[in-house]
Amino acid sequence: MSSHDHNDEESWRTPGERFTNFLNRKNPHYEHDQKDVGIAFALGIFYTLVFVALGAWAYPKWMPVVLSKQMQANEDIMIWFTVISAPIAGVVLSIAAKSFLNMHRGDTPPEDGVAIRTNGPVVIVWTATSVLFCIVAIVWGLVALNTESIAAATDAPKSLIVDVTGSQWVWSFYYPQQNIHTHTLNLPVNQPVTFNVMSDDVNHSFWPVQLGVKIDANRLVTTVAHADPTATGPLDVKCAELCGLYHAYMETSGAVESPTDFNNWVSSIQATGGVQQ
Amino acid sequence: MTTLSHAPASSRPIPNPKKSLITKLNMGTGIVVGVIFCWGTYFAMKAGRDMTDSHNVNKVLLMSMFAWSIGFLIGIGAFIGPFRWLIGKDLTDEEQLYLAGDGQGWKRYFKYCTDHKVVGIQYLVGVMAMLGVGGTMAMMIRTNLATPGSHFITPVVYNSLVGLHGITMIVAMIIVATGPFGNYIMPIMIGAADMAFPRLNALSWWVLFTAIPVLCSAWFLGGIPTGWTAYAPLSDQAGPGMNAFLATIIIFAVSTAVAGMNITTTVVAMRAKGMKWNRVPIFVIGATISVALAIPAFPTFMVAMIQTGLDRTIATGFYDANVGGSGWLYANLFWIMGHPEVYVILIPGVAALMEIAPVFVRKPLFSYNAAIAGFAGIAGLSVLVWAHHMYMAGWMPSLNGPFMVTTEFISVPTGLLFLVLIGTLWRGRPWMKLPMLCVYAFIWNFLIGGITGIYLSDVPADNYLHGSMYVTAHFHYTLMGAALTGAIGGLAYWFPKMTGRMLNERGGYISFWFIQIGFNVLFLGMFIAGAEGQPRRVADYAHLFAHANLISTIGAYSVGLGMIILLWAIVHSWRSGKIAPMNPWGAKTLEWTVPYPVPLVNFDQPPVVTSDPYGYGRSAK
Repeated sequence: MSSHDHNDEESWRTPGERFTNFLNRKNPHYEHDQKDVGIAFALGIFYTLVFVALGAWAYPKWMPVVLSKQMQANEDIMIWFTVISAPIAGVVLSIAAKSFLNMHRGDTPPEDGVAIRTNGPVVIVWTATSVLFCIVAIVWGLVALNTESIAAATDAPKSLIVDVTGSQWVWSFYYPQQNIHTHTLNLPVNQPVTFNVMSDDVNHSFWPVQLGVKIDANRLVTTVAHADPTATGPLDVKCAELCGLYHAYMETSGAVESPTDFNNWVSSIQATGGVQQ
Repeated sequence: MTTLSHAPASSRPIPNPKKSLITKLNMGTGIVVGVIFCWGTYFAMKAGRDMTDSHNVNKVLLMSMFAWSIGFLIGIGAFIGPFRWLIGKDLTDEEQLYLAGDGQGWKRYFKYCTDHKVVGIQYLVGVMAMLGVGGTMAMMIRTNLATPGSHFITPVVYNSLVGLHGITMIVAMIIVATGPFGNYIMPIMIGAADMAFPRLNALSWWVLFTAIPVLCSAWFLGGIPTGWTAYAPLSDQAGPGMNAFLATIIIFAVSTAVAGMNITTTVVAMRAKGMKWNRVPIFVIGATISVALAIPAFPTFMVAMIQTGLDRTIATGFYDANVGGSGWLYANLFWIMGHPEVYVILIPGVAALMEIAPVFVRKPLFSYNAAIAGFAGIAGLSVLVWAHHMYMAGWMPSLNGPFMVTTEFISVPTGLLFLVLIGTLWRGRPWMKLPMLCVYAFIWNFLIGGITGIYLSDVPADNYLHGSMYVTAHFHYTLMGAALTGAIGGLAYWFPKMTGRMLNERGGYISFWFIQIGFNVLFLGMFIAGAEGQPRRVADYAHLFAHANLISTIGAYSVGLGMIILLWAIVHSWRSGKIAPMNPWGAKTLEWTVPYPVPLVNFDQPPVVTSDPYGYGRSAK
């Protein structure tokens, strides 16, 4: 139904002629388009830059210190997805803003606008662009996911094992290789770690924040998470699944530390019977 | 029904079937019978049972709640028609006209009234009440979170508030557009005399109504500690208040099934002559796709809740790992409902704004087909994405990749919705009334909600973000920033048709800016808290998150103030606003061709449709 609503002048133009006319500033038919496109383009660049800045500046500032490869991967995704989606946000917001600035006020409707029913090329380009964006996001995610699972598999033999138990409302840790029970989570830097996670009661979610990994703790089922600590620093362990009354307080601390510090920490606990005081 | 659909409104006498039981029943008799059923069941079941056993308590409470619901429906007369069918009769024509409520004034709003316009108003008032209660809970949550270490409310109350705020708002948002506008406006929009099943229409509202006191009773039974997700085994462990939650969901699922079937049948079968599928207003398409999506979605929630109920009453152990059950079973059932459900909420809001934009820009809707493809694509994909809520559950890590792929593909049909809106705006000169402002607010909010959804759908990023305040901020941007804004736009747009008066403009504008600016401050603050690493649903938090939370709370108060102003504007305009002309916006859909009050059968002459309703605009130059 669309093409019939356009006037005759519009319909006889070939796509090539229309494009040439569009580029020709002096053609009265497209003068309005030119101006609209120009303003929208400027607004689009502005919004794109705002989103790029948000990704590049704000996320690294807000997110915690990166202590592992996984956390680095998370932060990269947050930054780059923001940057990649910035032009799309720019297009949407610029067109919205351009029309907003063109507003009509008062108690009677404005005169009718241009009867654009649809525009085939625009719909196709838009859809193709969003599919492309989508594929980039999917491939990025799949590659990151795959990299992590390959690393986890190859690193398994040299991993430090930590058995994590969640119970209402404390985290407790058992290091089978060192045979120590602890309530803080200390890890050596540059050694892969495997968390075997279980719950004594309801669901919890084990979240060593700065390591950027997370896995639910379920009753009678062991779930597994891997991390590769790459830097030293304090660690916060939280519960990310509502688990009842004191869910908010189900947290503990720890650290990623040098191998020497870690061994000293292990020795000090072994000296007190293998149970952290 | 023949008399009903052919008699001209003016010549119809007000029926008065004096001897019929129907004339004596109303909400009051419903409440009386419901309460008698409830307490009767309670005392009958309690007798001889050991009430120190929580299983027995759960049995008695659940059955009492269902008894209330059934008793209320008997008391209001919902089953008189079906009962007559059992004995080979039906309601008389007089009784049917009486049920339609013509000429009964305000009293018909408290009866089992079959007029779709009455049901629409019932939904509108009910939704506003629910949003008010849910919003007040949100204010209490944000007040407690204003500073770390606050003791404004205890953790028990806090957890209950989180759950009740969640479920109240979810229920309210599911019906916020399809309830009031789907019932009041949509049949007129398609040129129908009423809904396909007027009695089921009344049933859907009154069944929903019976869920409200049940949900409220959760407060008095110790609250719910589980959040609205009601994950097992926490729900197995929870106190008696949990029964109220289960019963509410089961009752609500019945209501949505009835309403969904009714709306889809109406749209498929009762469109005006000439209203081919490509001439159906886009709001009608959106609302229909939304309820059609709800029809398969909610029964799984109902099943999940029935199984929770069985675990809690007769220890079936569906979700109890100790006896071979699995919490993952619950999580799967819940999210098979849970993800379609967010689109059930979103689509009618977007569709309302797509109905609004062409009217105020005075341009055709850009690419009607893309809009339908967008809605259909979202609805189709939404049933294949549920386990993205379970990436970190430990259930089938090997499926994380496939679920990431389906989830991210939703951004393609979602992109089409943006294209339709910005295409409609392009080169337009928008008439900046409140409904149109909502279109702009929607674009901004949904853009942020959509983009942040892409991070969350990415498994490696979700490793960090899952279960954090970032998620809370994301879904509020989509459900509140997008869907509720759409519903407010719809209310401002259709208010003249539903009340006969114009919505107070100044009140509308002031509330709009308080709500939208406050909303963005509130949830941008929450994005920061989430990125910093604050888990969601926490009654307290570390000092690290103090600034972000204070920002959020300040934003929340602004939203609260805006909502109070909006409520004032609605109430004030409804009582004494400027009388609305028949078609104040100069729109081309059928509802603007009927006067206010809308006649019982809507149209004196059945309308004939010859084009789609978007024929605005001059030829391109």
